[in-house]
Amino acid sequence: MTTSIDFTRNFARAIDLDSHLEEDPGALREFPLMPYGEACDMGHAADGTPLIDPRLFDSPEFFRNPYPYYRIMRDHYPVYHDKLHNCYYVTRYDDITDCYFDDEGFNTIPKGSSSGVLGNTQLELSGIEHRRRRNLYGQHLVGQSLQARIPAIERLAREMIESWDEKAREGVDYIHDHDGVRTVEIGKAFANEFPISVVCDILGFPKEARDRFFYWYNSMMSGLGGSATQKQGLEARQDLEDYLEDIVEQRRKEPTYLYGDNGEIVSKDIISKLCESKIDGDYLSTEEITSNIALIVGGGGETTRGAILNMLFLLLTHPEQFAAVKADPSLWDTAFHETLRHSTPIGGQPRHNTYDVELHDVTIPAGSLVNMVDFSANHDERIFEEPEKFDIFRKDLYSGKLLRSGYRKEGKCSHMAFGVGPHLCPGAWISHQEATIGARILCDHMKNPRINVERMPKDIDGVSLRPMGLVSVGTLWIDFDLEDSRA
Amino acid sequence: MKAGQQEARHTPESRQDAPGQDGQDKIVYGRNGVPIHIRGGSRTTGGGYRTYEVHQRMRVGESTAKVKPNAMLTREYLEDPYPTLAILRENYPCYRDWIGNSYWISRYDDVTSIFTDDANFETRPKLWFYGREDFGRDFGQALPVLFAHAQRTDAHAQPVAEAILSELAGLGRADLAVTFAARYAMEMLARVLDLPAADFDFFVERYWKMQQGYGWSPKAEQAGLDAMSELARYFEPLMEQRRANPGDDLISAVAGLETETGPTTAEDLVTTLLERDHETLHGALANMWYLLLTHPEQLELLREDERLVKYAYQETVRHSTPVLEAKRFARQEVERFGRLLPEGALLICSAGAANRDPRVFQDPDRFEVNRKDLCRREPRGQYRADGLPTGITFGLGQPTKHPAVPEDRPRSLYAITRDTVVTASKCVLEILPGLRLADGAKPGLRALRVGDMHTCWQLPATWEA
Repeated sequence: MTTSIDFTRNFARAIDLDSHLEEDPGALREFPLMPYGEACDMGHAADGTPLIDPRLFDSPEFFRNPYPYYRIMRDHYPVYHDKLHNCYYVTRYDDITDCYFDDEGFNTIPKGSSSGVLGNTQLELSGIEHRRRRNLYGQHLVGQSLQARIPAIERLAREMIESWDEKAREGVDYIHDHDGVRTVEIGKAFANEFPISVVCDILGFPKEARDRFFYWYNSMMSGLGGSATQKQGLEARQDLEDYLEDIVEQRRKEPTYLYGDNGEIVSKDIISKLCESKIDGDYLSTEEITSNIALIVGGGGETTRGAILNMLFLLLTHPEQFAAVKADPSLWDTAFHETLRHSTPIGGQPRHNTYDVELHDVTIPAGSLVNMVDFSANHDERIFEEPEKFDIFRKDLYSGKLLRSGYRKEGKCSHMAFGVGPHLCPGAWISHQEATIGARILCDHMKNPRINVERMPKDIDGVSLRPMGLVSVGTLWIDFDLEDSRA
Repeated sequence: MKAGQQEARHTPESRQDAPGQDGQDKIVYGRNGVPIHIRGGSRTTGGGYRTYEVHQRMRVGESTAKVKPNAMLTREYLEDPYPTLAILRENYPCYRDWIGNSYWISRYDDVTSIFTDDANFETRPKLWFYGREDFGRDFGQALPVLFAHAQRTDAHAQPVAEAILSELAGLGRADLAVTFAARYAMEMLARVLDLPAADFDFFVERYWKMQQGYGWSPKAEQAGLDAMSELARYFEPLMEQRRANPGDDLISAVAGLETETGPTTAEDLVTTLLERDHETLHGALANMWYLLLTHPEQLELLREDERLVKYAYQETVRHSTPVLEAKRFARQEVERFGRLLPEGALLICSAGAANRDPRVFQDPDRFEVNRKDLCRREPRGQYRADGLPTGITFGLGQPTKHPAVPEDRPRSLYAITRDTVVTASKCVLEILPGLRLADGAKPGLRALRVGDMHTCWQLPATWEA
């Protein structure tokens, strides 16, 4: 028998007891902030394969600098089993598109983090149930209906920008004039509210309700994913639905209409149309309508806001590409798509597999949460050359009209920001119009715009601008020359 | 608004080529030619089809504002999980943990109902968490293995305790947590396997790495897998020897088993060891002496009446169970606790919370060896007997299903572990007279990492040498 001293020493060494007792598990969750684009060392397997520590996914480092880690996952763990968060990550473009198209094998039954706040929506249906409802909502956001709304979108954008002069005189904290230069925080001055205003306009809500919508929307977004503000998010959604419920009941009795610039009736608004839609011979229930309107409000705001701010940020930090877009406005479309490839506002979608499946030698038991990482797909070097580079002229990105049935056309692949397959974002087209119209009108208005580096949040070196990482640009301070801007 | 919960309705199988119908595996190729291997006979009942009415969402009143989302990952929780668990138990009996993608079950009746419901919930083997289910087979329930374990444990419980303690006795002081509790559990395991003494250190290190590796940490997983292969290589010649000259030990028992595919392998032996509970003997012994030394008045009771040692063990695993939680997975979509639990859902059944449920135990935070509302028999097939609840110790698995222990079966693991702890503790009382906590010592319980066993790692004590 060994002696007690021997045992104690050997045992403590074998299980690394002392370092466990000293170390603060909370502090361990902090991963060192690395130079942008480099991964920190989380250990290596015997064969040299880098390891991924799942606590990484909660760390500030990952939020700021995710792409090098996604690259490790793509190269070494195309299906990564995160046992701390009880889920799987799928990270390669080809795998994700396959899974998105297999609507039945990888279903969207609610278990993911959005269902708590957004409620019971189209997001959570699969197969036939999804298809038969999808067109009811989707048809109002595309094609003819949308074309008719473009003048209204342009008008809303101009109204917001024209109000800047008055706001500057009144004094607000996001517009400052000095020496013929105006400094504007584009988020507060434009991008935060513009998409919500468009959504309210299309849904036919009174202008007075927009502030409330803005609050509800902000609360719902901050409450996603079981965060500390989830209660506020749930309350906001309940308020929103209570408000909508009255409106839906009214419009059942008395439909309301959308009007064009000259006061002519364009069409009924979406809610009024939904009130008279039928599924299997039954009118849609009020709850069903309110839930999906809540989804439109939630889905139509954050994403488009992020797209506008990310696009302006990327263009202004790549001046030669910005000049090209200014010279040829038709390039706004490609700039929009390249922005969504390079820095998409939505990082991915959860799925739940219906069967036990084995993918890349990893067995995923039926009913598991499988995260499809769109961020990673968009930066998959198997599809896009030099994926970390922002290049609106890139040859390998499809920038045409996105279709549910395809993602690979003319030898190019589309980005994954809107997903693909049956659940392709129904707001893709309207979001595209909002972002490009909004950004174009902004840039027409601003003379010689440039980022006000002083006011922008900085990266760890204290000098360079903070990278976007997993979240979109939050605040964007732009200087532009005042004199000629209205000429 | 309508109620959030409605009964699940499933549409029948609709896809003609749905995999698994004929129980055959099949490979489908996606649009990009990515092979997706679909296991036969594994289709979920929820499937991709569900009527619109079936839904659940969180209502305002269900929000979980009283617990921070990462509360169970903090250092405070690793040291003292009970305040957090009390919040869950009193407010959110089926807490949806979004960060961990799981549900926390915290009331006594709920936890026991999940743990005894094998039709709807399953426990996955440790090998599954390793992602290496093909590594080996678990023969822990084979009768010869159970007998070998029971007989060798009974034969060595007292001599091993006496040997360790008499070595310590002359020192007058020691850290009982590692030097006694951890060592005793390992020495006992070495005796059950009848390992050569020279290999003890080698074995202990590999064994612990193996047992620590199936959690969430990839580094520990790597170390654990390496340790498993090393152990398998080490056991191979030993198994050959014992197959030729069998003894009464556990290695001989596994080596002697005949299976459909021929003789058992060293990997099977390693798997059998892996799946066996190792934490209760070590953890319960350490926690029990931690509690007794920090509650000297209870220790006095034991000194007066040795019969109370057994009750002290039972009260320990109730008050401070080393295995705080067990993971169960929903086999199918099932409604429980006012929620629709989706198929595959992970339920964290918290023994720590259930054992301190005031609905079941009076003044549950109090450590009282003479507790009147705790069952003193081994529970059979359920967690209550004589109208009294037992403390839940998951490490020991479920209570035995047999209404009475048949003659051709050994005692349950529950009883064997309990008797071993009692034997060892009686030796402590005898061999270390005047045992008390070292002056100035402030011992505590602590899980080393998220999900690890909650036990005492430093317990400095003195006695009359």
